[in-house]
Amino acid sequence: MSVLQIDALNKSYGTLRALRDLSFDVRSGEIFGFVGSNGAGKTTAMRIILGVLAADSGQVRWNGTELDLEVRRTVGYMPEERGLYPRMKVGEQLRFLAGLHGMNPVEARASVERWTDRLGVGARRGDHVQKLSLGNQQRVQLAAALVHNPAVLVLDEPFSGLDPVAVDVMSAVLRERTDDGVPVIFSSHQLDLVERLCDRVGIISSGQMVAVGTIDELCVTDRPRWALDVQAPPTAVSTWLGTVPGVTASPMPGRPGAFLVVGEPDGPPGVGQQLLRGALDLGAVREFSPIRPSLMDLFRDVVSADDAATAAAAGKVTR
Amino acid sequence: MRTGPVWMIARREIKTRMLTKANIISMAVMLAVIVIGAFVGNYFLDRDAAAPERSVALEQSVSALQPHLELAAEQQKIELRVSTMTADDATAALVSAGDDAIDAFLSGDPASPKMLVAEQPDADVLALVGAAVRSYVITDQISALGGDPGAFEEMMAAAAPTVEALQPASQSGYEGPAYGISMVMISLLLGALISSGSIIAMGVVEEKTSRVVEILLATIKPTQLLAGKVLGIGAYGLFQIVVLAGALAGALAALGLTADIEVNIGASLALLIVWFLLGYALFALLFGGFAALVSRQEEIGSVTTPLMFLLFVPYYTTLFVVPGDPDSTVVRVLSQIPFFAPFMMPARDAFGAVAGWELALSMGIALLTIPLLVWVAARVYQRGVLHTGGRMKLAEALKG
Repeated sequence: MSVLQIDALNKSYGTLRALRDLSFDVRSGEIFGFVGSNGAGKTTAMRIILGVLAADSGQVRWNGTELDLEVRRTVGYMPEERGLYPRMKVGEQLRFLAGLHGMNPVEARASVERWTDRLGVGARRGDHVQKLSLGNQQRVQLAAALVHNPAVLVLDEPFSGLDPVAVDVMSAVLRERTDDGVPVIFSSHQLDLVERLCDRVGIISSGQMVAVGTIDELCVTDRPRWALDVQAPPTAVSTWLGTVPGVTASPMPGRPGAFLVVGEPDGPPGVGQQLLRGALDLGAVREFSPIRPSLMDLFRDVVSADDAATAAAAGKVTR
Repeated sequence: MRTGPVWMIARREIKTRMLTKANIISMAVMLAVIVIGAFVGNYFLDRDAAAPERSVALEQSVSALQPHLELAAEQQKIELRVSTMTADDATAALVSAGDDAIDAFLSGDPASPKMLVAEQPDADVLALVGAAVRSYVITDQISALGGDPGAFEEMMAAAAPTVEALQPASQSGYEGPAYGISMVMISLLLGALISSGSIIAMGVVEEKTSRVVEILLATIKPTQLLAGKVLGIGAYGLFQIVVLAGALAGALAALGLTADIEVNIGASLALLIVWFLLGYALFALLFGGFAALVSRQEEIGSVTTPLMFLLFVPYYTTLFVVPGDPDSTVVRVLSQIPFFAPFMMPARDAFGAVAGWELALSMGIALLTIPLLVWVAARVYQRGVLHTGGRMKLAEALKG
């Protein structure tokens, strides 16, 4: 099985350490979501993978061998800062890029037609890129990353600036590519999309990978949470919840009468069933559902923990 | 290094430069200016060169002057028509404006004829008539003394000193075809080098500004990108100079102007192309490498200004120093320096003041400089091309 291995990358810009021993794997047929706050090091990592930037130390390997220029030609790359020749026609430009990636003119022509049609810019092949709207330029940029049938896809913020239809097309395209065994890495700030689309997610913070795994793995929590809405006076419900052992409850913001119930870590087993039974005794239960933390919550936790650490570190320095 | 990508980059450059509407129009305009300029110049040259034909009429009594007039006209290189008519016809012909108009009418005694003119005597005609009359009188006197006028004339013609110089003077000065040709050639060269240098600088910055460079560099090496760019734009520049200089040479040849010029235009043109290629390699690499230091079109000036100096100083030095003394020590030394050679050598060659070994040596030095510049340019380019934001310092780019 093909694996793209990112092994202990380090990169500094002057005194700023952009990456610290960054390591992760992306397997073939997998969509890997790369999330992190601004300046966390996502773009730097992707540029190093593509060889556009040189790492201070560490290695990027494809199937066990270091990724060299020959292999890099088979990677599809969409940089964060979009780039195409503004005064060149869409079709001509894509054929040129396909050629640079080693496609012969006949293949290139067919592939350009296929991808521009697929991404909804087939009618604009004869126009200069600068005449297209920003959204359509974005689609052309995607076509540029896909046109040479890449063996690996590295996409920096591929969804930013796309309309919902284009997001759907793009998602379908990514899924198709992974079905063909292509590993896909993409970064995004649209966490709902990442959660929906990715097989695995890596959260990067200050140049370090702080969490890697499937959404399920990452979202496992030792504090179960439920949403509870009972047809009974809120005061009665609140009083009753106070008597249930091993949970704490608070009113759900924005939903009068509903409560957010949080179980304690290592609480007694079967707390959920016990809660439901008690609630039914009180009145008709309108809602009782476990709440799984979203990637958003997870991300917030990581980033706030990181901010706290940074603030603490800064505090130490100033004092 | 794979040559495929270099060729693809070069082809893209040629295509996007050559086939734009703006370029086709500007080339057509320049061609038109050259051809029209040659024709207009030729028209004025023609008016200067072709002196009008003079016409003198003789009365029967002075017809003995005719051979002397014709001989004098031949010696003074003046076109002269001599006819015989009566005084009445002559009065009419003197004031006529048509083809039968005459400049003067001679009558009376051939030894001291009366010269009738319309208003003012033409200086050339007066001189001719004076010479003819003197010649007539001398011939007459020699015959009267029993001598042979033919032998006398031959002796007179041979009575001139033969000049012999120890050193042949070199052709020089600020006029003449050599000066004209050398100035046109180095100006063409300067124009071609500036325009292709600027195109390279703008192309490099365009790729940086539009960020397309990041996609390109994920596929090819920076050196391949720079090499392709320099080759493509160089081919375009060469095409330009060949077309424009060819049009100039063609127009001159078509007008028959080349016959009077002692400089071999074909050889000069070939030499110009060689020097364009060498000069282009020297300057283009620097333009490409240095342009990578900045990120916006507005900042190009700050990196190309020093390079413009590097172009203009040799150009003006050539313009002002070479014609005065194309063989002086200063000129000979300067013309071996790579950045001066492309301007000085073609100019000196047009004056015929360059030895074969000098030409070969300067070309050799230029060729040896190119790899050094490739190294410097590639290094600066590689480091600068992904640097965004402000201007990168040259020292920073070289140090790495």
